[in-house]
Amino acid sequence: MDSRRYLLWFFGVAGALVTAAVAFNALADAYILRHRAGASVQLVSGFERVLKPAWLASLKPSMVFIGSSRARIAFDPTLVDPVFGVRSFNYGVSSASAYETRRYIQDVAHQPFVKTIVVALDAFTSGSAAQPYGGGFDELRLSVTAAGTPTPRRDLWLFTARYLSGGALGMHGLGVWLLAQLAPGELAADRPDVFPEYGHMTPAKFAHELTRRAERTMRMTGWQREQLDASLAALCSSSAQVYFYFPPDNMALIAHYRANDSQGFSAFKHAVQADVARHNAMCSNKVRLFDFMNENSITRDDAAARGRPSPYYLDPIHIRPPTGLLLLQQMLRGHGVIGTEVKTQ
Amino acid sequence: MIFSSYPYLVFLALTLVVFCALEDRLPGLKRTFLLLISLVFYAWWRVDFLALLLGSTFINFAIGSAITRRFAQGRSTRALLVAGLGVNLALIGWFKYAGLFAATANDLLALGVPIPHLFLPLAISFFTFEQISYLADAAGGRAPRYSLIDYTLFVSFFPHLIAGPIIRHNDLIPQFARIRSADERSDDIAVGTTLFTIGLAKKTLIADNLAPFSDAVFLATQHGAAISMSDAWMGTLFFAFQIYFDFSAYSDMALGSACMFGIRLPMNFNSPYKAASIIEFWRLWHISLSTFLRDYLYIPLGGNRFGSFRRYANLFITMLLGGLWHGANWTFMIWGALHGVYLIINHAWRKFARAFNLTAPPALQPFAHALSVLITFTAVVFAWTVFRAGDFSSAHRLVSAMVGMGGESHLLTFGPLAMGAFATLFALVWLAPNSMEITWRLKPALETRYKDAGLRKTRWQWAPSKASAIGFGLLFIVSVMALSNLSPFIYFQF
Repeated sequence: MDSRRYLLWFFGVAGALVTAAVAFNALADAYILRHRAGASVQLVSGFERVLKPAWLASLKPSMVFIGSSRARIAFDPTLVDPVFGVRSFNYGVSSASAYETRRYIQDVAHQPFVKTIVVALDAFTSGSAAQPYGGGFDELRLSVTAAGTPTPRRDLWLFTARYLSGGALGMHGLGVWLLAQLAPGELAADRPDVFPEYGHMTPAKFAHELTRRAERTMRMTGWQREQLDASLAALCSSSAQVYFYFPPDNMALIAHYRANDSQGFSAFKHAVQADVARHNAMCSNKVRLFDFMNENSITRDDAAARGRPSPYYLDPIHIRPPTGLLLLQQMLRGHGVIGTEVKTQ
Repeated sequence: MIFSSYPYLVFLALTLVVFCALEDRLPGLKRTFLLLISLVFYAWWRVDFLALLLGSTFINFAIGSAITRRFAQGRSTRALLVAGLGVNLALIGWFKYAGLFAATANDLLALGVPIPHLFLPLAISFFTFEQISYLADAAGGRAPRYSLIDYTLFVSFFPHLIAGPIIRHNDLIPQFARIRSADERSDDIAVGTTLFTIGLAKKTLIADNLAPFSDAVFLATQHGAAISMSDAWMGTLFFAFQIYFDFSAYSDMALGSACMFGIRLPMNFNSPYKAASIIEFWRLWHISLSTFLRDYLYIPLGGNRFGSFRRYANLFITMLLGGLWHGANWTFMIWGALHGVYLIINHAWRKFARAFNLTAPPALQPFAHALSVLITFTAVVFAWTVFRAGDFSSAHRLVSAMVGMGGESHLLTFGPLAMGAFATLFALVWLAPNSMEITWRLKPALETRYKDAGLRKTRWQWAPSKASAIGFGLLFIVSVMALSNLSPFIYFQF
């Protein structure tokens, strides 16, 4: 074969594959974003770090949830939106580090269409300067740099992430596959076999997770606190209403935190309270702080310990989306008394 | 512009299309076009440093032309050469080393000298060395007079501008006048595309995926963590493979890009982890740097002409400065010094073995060779700890952990996955043919200047065929899908 024919075949194959990938990603993206239950794909773990910045830019939501898998699983826009009359977006990512959380907060605080920001604080106890972010995270996709200036050529990075990345192929493929299994009219909440985020914590899962997480602590390092303070600084000039909350880990797990590192656990809460109080004293845009990581009607749930599926939990640290709705009811509307609002002014 | 990025792929494709059109219709303009496009490539990073690149180029061109003229007239060129070297060393010294020297002086002598915090101009180490070689050759009568366009294109030709290979004027400039037939052009683009694809795959599918593991360990030591022996060895090994695939990927992509324009750059990388001695390692790793150091530092210092002691001293000085060339950090100098010591031991051992006629019996020679490769690899890996550590205390923590005097940490798990990864990586670097060997049928590079460090024969030689086109087309797209915007090449920082 001569080189000319080789090049024709090479570029033919490459061109065909690129076209196929772009076409699939474009069609799948439109399908997910327009599907009645499409927003529930935001609850799914996969390559969410690749696509969520692009989805945020497309959906232009008025309410955004940020945090680790605790936030990712807790808030389903298909449940939240009709109740609060908003378009919400779940920006939670698995094992979010403090740095990633800070960067997502910076990203969202820079968007004029975002009116409400809800942040799960446990993410500020993850990550280190040695490992600041997880695989697939690329801050060029965010609207601002870490220094707060607009990201150069962001549209290009969003385009390539959405249509030309392996992560997009994976996340789109997963999303389409999940949604395709729903019958007409069904939502994710109707099919916990397809969307396991809607499952219930069973006694076996409860026991297994408690054993697996027996050494767990909840403490914040100096580096992680720097990320929290950088997040608060980014929110100072934002016009969005901001809610920080300590997520409602099950009491059985909170007992582990206390037993393993009681001082670190209370220091974490005090540090957040002090930093939010300082922010509120300096900035016109106040942050409201809620503590659900204490003994309350959700965290006391011991159904699984008594051999029944839990109504609130997927496992001891992840609450189900309907439970997330209860938290929002208290934080945004003052309905119900689950956790406590922490005084910061 | 990073080679493994979408902007570069678009830039390369558009540049190639226009270049081919010019080659057919207006061949006289192709050099000017390549020059302009190379300056755009550099300015993409920071437009203000373009003035520095051009300023350095014009000054060196003027001095070099004057030296050439004086040499032709039989007049002394020494003063001009010293002035030219002074300008280049002052430039690189100011931008790259002023901060280090000031900080060190403050630490040692408490001078209170203000520390300049300068932005390191991209590629300054490379274009400075290339121009030093031009001035030295001009003073030795080995450089003809060039046009300003040719000379500027030699310095700024985009495939080698950012991170080498460090190219000589007389290797590159004569190629600018080459007229290609249509068949030659197809061959060049075919082999260039294939080589570029191999490099892209090494970068995005291998090197970038190793980085998080080595980073986790090295950054942990930088933050004072006492890591375990297992973490220290795994992190260092992952880094050894990361830098191998990262740098060889860069070299393949640079050579492949140049090939598409009918230009051959010097071979820069030839399976260095297969080396059976440190002497051989430096003939296979960053070949353009080691030949530069040999020809413009080691030999002018006296080389091996004044006895063993001077030879060892020259070797040590050369490697020490070669280490410091990599960056403004004493750890690089220590890395260079380590390799200097390795080379001295290697040369002394050779002399000893020759004197006492020490050779393994034929039956044991494969084992002796394997042992030599293993010892060389271990020595190189050990030196990488200092290279990557960032500061002495981190390097000390890491080396302590490697010899079992570390702490307890579980940053990486030595399970079946890690074992599989290491087995694959060792198989690739020790057993697989390299990209040069695979594509050598169409000679995508200039041959190495080391006469005894040629390419090994392989059955896996690439030739244009439907199967290879489909295979490499697939590999290209899979690699493109894995592009990351956060992973520049390690050698870009030098």
